[in-house]
Amino acid sequence: MKNIYITLRISALMILTLLLIKSTAIAQEEATQDTTVQEPTVERPVRPAFESGLLFDATTTTVQPSKTLEFILQHRFGYMDTEKYAKDFFGIWGASNIRVGLNYSFTDKLTVGIGTTKMKRLQDLQIKYKVLEQTRSNSMPVTVVVHEVIGVDARDASIWDQNEGSPAYKFSNRISYFTEVIVSRRFNDNLSLQAGGAFTHYNCVDSVYDHDRISLSFAGRYKFSPQGSVIVAGDFPLDITGIKDFKKDASATTIIYDKPNISIGVEISTSTHAFQIYLASAQGILPQEDVMWNNHDFFKGGIMIGFNLTRLWNF
Amino acid sequence: MKNSIKLIAIICTAIIFVTANMAMAQKAGGPWTIPAASKSMKSTIKAGDASINTVGKENFNKHCKSCHGAKGLGDGPKAANLKTSTGDFSTAKFQASTDGELYYMSFIGRDEMPNFEKKIIDVADRWAVIGYIRTLKK
Repeated sequence: MKNIYITLRISALMILTLLLIKSTAIAQEEATQDTTVQEPTVERPVRPAFESGLLFDATTTTVQPSKTLEFILQHRFGYMDTEKYAKDFFGIWGASNIRVGLNYSFTDKLTVGIGTTKMKRLQDLQIKYKVLEQTRSNSMPVTVVVHEVIGVDARDASIWDQNEGSPAYKFSNRISYFTEVIVSRRFNDNLSLQAGGAFTHYNCVDSVYDHDRISLSFAGRYKFSPQGSVIVAGDFPLDITGIKDFKKDASATTIIYDKPNISIGVEISTSTHAFQIYLASAQGILPQEDVMWNNHDFFKGGIMIGFNLTRLWNF
Repeated sequence: MKNSIKLIAIICTAIIFVTANMAMAQKAGGPWTIPAASKSMKSTIKAGDASINTVGKENFNKHCKSCHGAKGLGDGPKAANLKTSTGDFSTAKFQASTDGELYYMSFIGRDEMPNFEKKIIDVADRWAVIGYIRTLKK
């Protein structure tokens, strides 16, 4: 099991290294009698596929220009009471989760972010790098971004020391990783879609749960007005036997966390802000939490209201 | 006696509250100092280009309308919060500005008028916005 993990991590690092090697621009030159050298055609990138670098809990391929600071607020109300929706006012009075974060674009391709989340007291470091950019001439038909989220569970150490015989607590128990590659295409001024594959790893989990999970994600937006869009996204954890740790003899009361995170909502964007209000089925906010620890089914009442707010400052 | 003093104090405060009027008028912005190289810039798109009423209009509505108003009359919802008046794009005097002057004022900016170079990165898209501003003349 550990060997498979090491192999996957090395493979992911090798792919990341290969993708980060810059390719040189292809110059256009014609063999003519004329001795003047033609200027290489300057490729113009398309306008960003998404209005913001964030879509629900998912990162998009939109990277803000260099020296841009982005403030992020992600809020998730409680799950709705499926028997009496009004009882907890559609989850608004229920147990909520919230993340506050800051992203900064060091270059036009690289963004680094930090954040803090209420549930599990998760502190995160995020890195997003734009590897390829879609061009208007379609010489590059897609934008490709690599994204890493490192989460640190900041709760008391006793959380990892609850059973007799369990290994001694180490700081590394707190850490989780989410590594993904996202590909997007801006089809026209109204429609943009993206898809991605991700590898999630938790250093320390209860003996009946998985350390690792591979997931696929899809997201899209359709603009119905100059500043308004319908937005949809889904994260689908895959059931891959080779990386499962889940024990078949776990008790019948063990909660199985294998549901996809589905989100659907509306986005309003202005020059400096993006507002998203939506229904979602995973409350974790950090992508590794959504992929690894969601047991709520969107289509069986496992939904809650959420909203995101982002604000940009250009320096 | 104490009650009378309190009553007078309240009435005086109320009168001052209602009548005191600090000057809140907006000032018109002074003349712009625009480098000669910028003044002489020419639009990279032709008048009547299709992008003016699509890309140009959309970007104007997203980035400019909140202060300058939908028709560029300086009556956007955020205009009243500014110390400087946001001007009137429909006047002949404003429209007499060269392409380069409009470009500099729109994207480089000054004081309360932000720099929009990082909001609209593509140069042709910027000229589409300038093209749309030209359509706002009376």
